[in-house]
Amino acid sequence: MNSSNPGTNQSANLERIEQVVRSLLNNDDISLTPETRAADVPGWDSLAHVSIIFGIEEEFGLRFSDQDLVGVETVGDLAERIGRAHAGGGV
Amino acid sequence: MEKVETNSLSRAADELEQLRPTGEVPEPDACLRMARACFAAQDMAGAYEWLARVADSRGPYVAWASAAGALAKFEEREPPLTARTARVAVVGSYTTSQFVALLRLVALRRRVRLEVYEAGFDLFRQEILDPRSGLYAFEPDYVIVAPHEGVVPFPALTEASAVEETLEAEVGRWRTLWDALAANSSARVVQHNFALRPESTWGHLAARVPGTRDGMLRRLNDKLADAAGDGVLIVDCDRVSAAFGKDRWFDDRYWHLAKQAVALDALPELARHTAAVIAAAEGLSSKCLVLDLDNTLWGGVIAEEGLSGIQLGGGPQGEAFIAFHEYLISLLSRGILLAVASKNNPADAREPFEQHPDTRLRLDDFAAFHANWDDKPASLRTIASELNIGLDSLVFVDDNPAEREVVRRLLPEVEVIALPSDPSGYIRAVSDSLLFELASLTNEDLGRAAQYQARAAAEAQQAQAGSLDEFYASLGMEALVSPFDEVNLPRITQLVGKTNQFNLTTRRHGMNEIRGFMEDGRAVTMSLRLRDQFTDHGLVAVLIAEQKDDVLDIDTWLMSCRVIGRTVENEMLARLSEAALERGVTRLHGTFIPTAKNVVVKDVFERLGFTLRSSDSGTTTWEYDIDQKGPITSEFIQPWNEPVGQP
Repeated sequence: MNSSNPGTNQSANLERIEQVVRSLLNNDDISLTPETRAADVPGWDSLAHVSIIFGIEEEFGLRFSDQDLVGVETVGDLAERIGRAHAGGGV
Repeated sequence: MEKVETNSLSRAADELEQLRPTGEVPEPDACLRMARACFAAQDMAGAYEWLARVADSRGPYVAWASAAGALAKFEEREPPLTARTARVAVVGSYTTSQFVALLRLVALRRRVRLEVYEAGFDLFRQEILDPRSGLYAFEPDYVIVAPHEGVVPFPALTEASAVEETLEAEVGRWRTLWDALAANSSARVVQHNFALRPESTWGHLAARVPGTRDGMLRRLNDKLADAAGDGVLIVDCDRVSAAFGKDRWFDDRYWHLAKQAVALDALPELARHTAAVIAAAEGLSSKCLVLDLDNTLWGGVIAEEGLSGIQLGGGPQGEAFIAFHEYLISLLSRGILLAVASKNNPADAREPFEQHPDTRLRLDDFAAFHANWDDKPASLRTIASELNIGLDSLVFVDDNPAEREVVRRLLPEVEVIALPSDPSGYIRAVSDSLLFELASLTNEDLGRAAQYQARAAAEAQQAQAGSLDEFYASLGMEALVSPFDEVNLPRITQLVGKTNQFNLTTRRHGMNEIRGFMEDGRAVTMSLRLRDQFTDHGLVAVLIAEQKDDVLDIDTWLMSCRVIGRTVENEMLARLSEAALERGVTRLHGTFIPTAKNVVVKDVFERLGFTLRSSDSGTTTWEYDIDQKGPITSEFIQPWNEPVGQP
């Protein structure tokens, strides 16, 4: 919903990912780094993962490719896919 | 010490007030922040109120899901005070967890607290058929059965001879599940029907080949509705998904990734509709629409602009109000009460319903009518007590955002509809509120409906007429022909100004010239209003003729394109020949002046029996001698004898 360009600023993107995750997990204490894995974050289970992926599409106004949806291991992977989806002309 | 505490409390209250979201449907994120702040300040009522307000938005999904998560967290401290609590089991064929969370949120908005049991993924058959399942141990009040169309085993094409049998077998499988639910619990079943996918193997052929998968799924939905009876509530997911947009409803990436059959951003809508059906079953649907008048039921201000100045029919803006009237009458016919709360002089407020030629609503359609200078909350309280229903049964509809905000603040029990600024959007806004769902149709409802049927269009009797004459006769047309008057003058001026096709002379007289004809004793002015068994077309035809000795010469004659091909021209001239005879005039003269658009009326005088008098570069003049040929007749249109305003 934020209108600034995705993929242009790594740390700004990380902040926005963090905001989506905090919202969806209802936990403002969550702090993410590119190395953070789902298992490191309380509540980030497979169900929450789907919501988080969708929430990021919504937040960044992009559409992940089929390929991008799989193999996300770390927050850094997510950030990298945001850049890729943007470069690939996601919605 | 005590004083310090009071100070810090009032400071907290100030801070909360500053956080208070603004706007009619505040940003969901702002509502969430407010809810969390209330929670932090131990104000649980406020926390739940603002959480529920998130469900007034249509997304984004993250805000809804976040609010749903907050709801679960808040409840650990203290459950919300709601009108009802219901135990709901959800059994589906896809991942339903996100749906369940959102359902609890929007149910809170509808004043129902849900306790939920969710069956494991795709275990709906096992859970329903096993009397010892967790589903039955939960003792639900409602069981939501949520399959997606993928579970229906119809092939791309079923052989024609096997279609009925295959359908029956499938209906039978669902009936077996409903029967098992009835045998093992007292829960009401809420069945999601099948949202048909946007892709199609058969394209348009599917609509007329009975054995196609698409065609059969459509019929399956119908047959399930037939089989449902009163025991099973249906959520019409096919309609909801169509309205939402099937392209977005189905996002196969998430089906392949996580068995989400409904896209996450479509889930708020599915949850809203499911909650509306449950709220209706809980008796929480609203009963009465309380309406403002000026700019809500007509355009403009009656006290200032008067009967002929307000917009009601006769033009695009006025048409939108007529459409709203007709929608309200359809609600009335199914038992919703209508009431008026207006800041107006009572006499002014009543006048349009008593005298405006286009009004559809009449005074006796309103169960309560409050036009006075009280504030709206006072009027709403009076209406509730007069009708002996709770404030929470009222829905307030007012074009003025300030009035809506006052009611929201002072009477939080009353539902307030955020009307759009355009009257053409009023119907959608009321309908989309989902406040008037019915769990079943009672005999009382049907009785009320019958009462209004006399007024409603008898569409069931739509004529299967073979010949054109039979068709005309079957329409049951009635015309009210009257001289021009001040009330009709704006509509007449508008027709004169804009009618292009059925317009013999295309003389664009302005309002003052037309008023001149109206007041001129030598002129005959006629406006015609037409209705038939289906609808009231309003004022659709205009004629001005001037008397010159023993001739009535038609200066202007035109008709709205809506009623071309209805023999209205015969009716107009039949009445004109009557008027002529009353004046001792025996000849009618007419002129056709060609334009780029009026070729449709080139031969109209000839068809009506006129004789050509002259022809000059396309312009023709005509004469009809009444003595010689007898009066012009109109076979298919009857006079409409009731007074204006009582159609």
